[in-house]
Amino acid sequence: MSSTAEKTMKTDSMFINLGPQHPSTHGVLRVGLTIEGELITKAVPDIGYLHRGTSKLAEVRGYHHCVVLTDRWDYVAAMPNNLVFCLAAEKLMEVQAPPRAEALRVLMCELNRVASHLLFFGTYGIDIGAFTPFLYAFREREMILDLFEMACGARLTYNYIRLGGVMADVPPEWLAKCREFVDYFKPRIDEYDTLLTYNPIFMARTKEVGLIPAADAVSWSLSGANLRGSGVCYDVRKSDPYCGYERYSFDVPLGQTGSCWDRYFCRVQEMRQSIRIIEQVLGGLPEGPTMAAGVAKIPKPKPGEAYAHVEGARGDLGIFLVSDGQASPYRMHVRAPSFLNLAILQELLVGNKVSDVIAILGSIDIVLGEVDR
Amino acid sequence: MSEEPKPDAKAPAAKAAPAKKTFPPAKFNEKAGRLLKTTRYWPTELWANPWNKPSYRRGALLLGGIILGLLATGAAVGELAVWGDRLYAWLLAFISARGGSPVLAQGIWAVFKGLLVLHVILLNGLWAVWWERKISAHIQSRVGPVYAGGFHGWAQTICDGIKLLLKEDITPAASDAWVHALAPAIVVVPVVAAFAPVSFGRQLAAANLDVGVLYVFAMAGISVIGIVMAGWASGNKYSLLGGLRACAQLVSYELPRGFSIVPVLMFAGSLNISAIAAAQAGYKWGFLPRWFIFYPVVGQLAFLIFLIASIAETNRTPFDIPEAESELVSGFHTEYSGMKWSIFFLSEYGYVLLASFLLAAFFLGGGASPFAFDHLIPSWIWMLGKAMLMMFLFLWARWTFPRLRADQLMDFNWKFLLPWSFANIALAGVWLLLS
Amino acid sequence: MIDYFAKVLRAAWNTCKGLGLTLKYLFKPAITVHYPDEKLVPYERFRGALLFDAVTCISCNLCVKACPSTCIDLENATIPDPKNPQARKKVARVEWYSIDFGKCNFCRLCEESCPTKPKSVWHSLDYELVFFSRDEMVRCWKAGMSWVGQYWDRRAKQFKDPPGQVRIMEVDARR
Repeated sequence: MSSTAEKTMKTDSMFINLGPQHPSTHGVLRVGLTIEGELITKAVPDIGYLHRGTSKLAEVRGYHHCVVLTDRWDYVAAMPNNLVFCLAAEKLMEVQAPPRAEALRVLMCELNRVASHLLFFGTYGIDIGAFTPFLYAFREREMILDLFEMACGARLTYNYIRLGGVMADVPPEWLAKCREFVDYFKPRIDEYDTLLTYNPIFMARTKEVGLIPAADAVSWSLSGANLRGSGVCYDVRKSDPYCGYERYSFDVPLGQTGSCWDRYFCRVQEMRQSIRIIEQVLGGLPEGPTMAAGVAKIPKPKPGEAYAHVEGARGDLGIFLVSDGQASPYRMHVRAPSFLNLAILQELLVGNKVSDVIAILGSIDIVLGEVDR
Repeated sequence: MSEEPKPDAKAPAAKAAPAKKTFPPAKFNEKAGRLLKTTRYWPTELWANPWNKPSYRRGALLLGGIILGLLATGAAVGELAVWGDRLYAWLLAFISARGGSPVLAQGIWAVFKGLLVLHVILLNGLWAVWWERKISAHIQSRVGPVYAGGFHGWAQTICDGIKLLLKEDITPAASDAWVHALAPAIVVVPVVAAFAPVSFGRQLAAANLDVGVLYVFAMAGISVIGIVMAGWASGNKYSLLGGLRACAQLVSYELPRGFSIVPVLMFAGSLNISAIAAAQAGYKWGFLPRWFIFYPVVGQLAFLIFLIASIAETNRTPFDIPEAESELVSGFHTEYSGMKWSIFFLSEYGYVLLASFLLAAFFLGGGASPFAFDHLIPSWIWMLGKAMLMMFLFLWARWTFPRLRADQLMDFNWKFLLPWSFANIALAGVWLLLS
Repeated sequence: MIDYFAKVLRAAWNTCKGLGLTLKYLFKPAITVHYPDEKLVPYERFRGALLFDAVTCISCNLCVKACPSTCIDLENATIPDPKNPQARKKVARVEWYSIDFGKCNFCRLCEESCPTKPKSVWHSLDYELVFFSRDEMVRCWKAGMSWVGQYWDRRAKQFKDPPGQVRIMEVDARR
């Protein structure tokens, strides 16, 4: 009886192309969804639409030129990209950036983390259906981009952090502007909480959706807020400090269940922590040069290999550099957090509703420039 | 190009000048005839003291002026119903003087009223789109349309309408062409029809139907067929999902919407919209209007449920799952373009206006003045003001909230709104027994 | 029961707070810039379109080497060699100079590498680069041209000003 009912009630599944031109795929991701009604039975993320082969390009470019390439991976937060390449190359070249440059690097990376999380906050609002938080977030993001424009002249692809230091010291009025922004921004985060974080509709949409248990998060090698949302405390800034992060006091926000809301909340909390770090850096910015002496125009580091990783806005961003003594790297491998975070999508989406696909995809917070590189 | 600085004239000077350590303030070439703006747009500067900004003061003055002007116009014109009666009397006299029967006069009068109501809906489309864009823009720290028409972009919707008329009307190859073309009509006709018994002020309704409330809900229920047709006929999977979602949503939300006004009907003792509005006349203790929204608990609960259900009925955020740009890429009207697409929007805004007028009539006393001392401002101005206030609630909610998921939407309806609307009926019974 | 009402009330309260926030911003001045009517002047370090001055250029080729995407090209000017009439001698001036804005990364490496004072190639503050064809992206300087700005029209075989395009604007602050 039941088997015949199943047979007669059996409905066709439907294949839906989510992307690459779908408004909520955050770039050119394509997800092939097989749905029964509104339930997902299979999800296949399809990447590669934005592949530019930067790892290969790096093999024919000088080390200074490679910094320009790094800007193009995670174009939403390009400062950590610059930083991680410079850290790896500096290990090869045995150069140490001066203290002021290190402090500026931290400052810029944290500002960029805030900018990137603001973009996440805004677009996640749009994914869930609220348009207004997006423009509020961009209003604040615009100020950070203004600060970047003031310091290095670009708003998106900075090329600010260079081998051995930073491009140039910040202009004299920059620090005051940055403090102005910090003072302005702190109450705004509470407004974001009002507008989205604790909104009952938003919580209903994101809590208990897209659960990633801690064990799964580790075995899929997630990183960044996606990992911390599941309650696993791993932050490169704490576990493997670079650029003097050990000097600044900040907390690593953790989620509890690994739901979309937890991942979202981790990022909002990270914005607060970043602001804390920025305040500390602004309070004790050391004087001195911003560029180490002895960085060659065309560096030819000794043969060897180096691995450096930083806590980028999307997670553990690492670079493995091999030098053969020539002017360009022999091999550059990028551990792109977005790429690894995206992999869990195929498992995470199954059994959810079509609306949840957008919520989950948004909460993973990928940047396709970094996924495809 | 000819004004380009000559290299020979310029370059020696540049070469002779010593290298500058600090930059002079940068500025654009003014020869290119561009407007310069040297200030950065940081909110910290802009929001420091908005009243110091002339544009802000001007805007506030303008808003006050418009409201005062409307009130003054209302006071000068007086009750529209009086003018209508005069016009009808003149028409009757004109026709009977020429030997026509009064039935002819009644017929002409009915057509005239129908056309007037039709224009209310059409003009509402122009107005509401502009207003929504302005409200949403200012909520989001933007300004919205400012160029078309010169004055705060008042002509923007007209231009958009012309653009939509001129756009290519695309029928997708996979679509069911007839159903695809028919769907917008089926969506928009009921909204026009539903306006017949709506009261625009004291004795100001196209048709004084005794079953007005039932009629309006019955008409509004038809549109869902058009939306399902649109979703089905588009030949697009996203549209299909949107159409099916819309079907489930609209049918479900009819229930709390209908039940939430049962208390109102109990208090008023009538299904006639004008009669319901008239039942709220008078003032308690000489100042508090006897509007149904001021009835403790029952009134507010009914108002809220009706408002929420109305938002859901009009497919607007937070209940816009049939459209859902970020999920379904606009759902049932993905495959529509040009005028067909705009007809969907016309009907959406028509329903918003309908819900606003119903809210005003059911809960805010219709054309009754909120002040006991006011005998000057006519009812239609108050009605309009209240309806616009209600419409603002719609826009305000839309630009604040995220979107619910389809199953949560159903949960919210069946497990929250509907039980509470039932409970509210019981509360209303208790209230009636006590008073 | 109390839990239920507490939950409903909390949800309603949070909803109302959100509405209050949007209402607050409704009455704040807008922060947007009406772009074609109002234009922001970028900060001094802004990396806009590249400009080139042939008079100060010493044709040292450093910018060509510094460019990560090989968007700069130049050729040395030559004069007849007095010692050897057959050969021509290179001088520290350019014959022609071209920048391909289609490839340009706007990374400031060329400007940093430029050894002259003031810089011979530098980023202007112009952010309004619009092209109608790929040819237009390659802007040239040649003896007789004023500033880098014209492009080589392959069909007409001559240098042309890009049609309908705002010129790369001059900046008073030259680095």
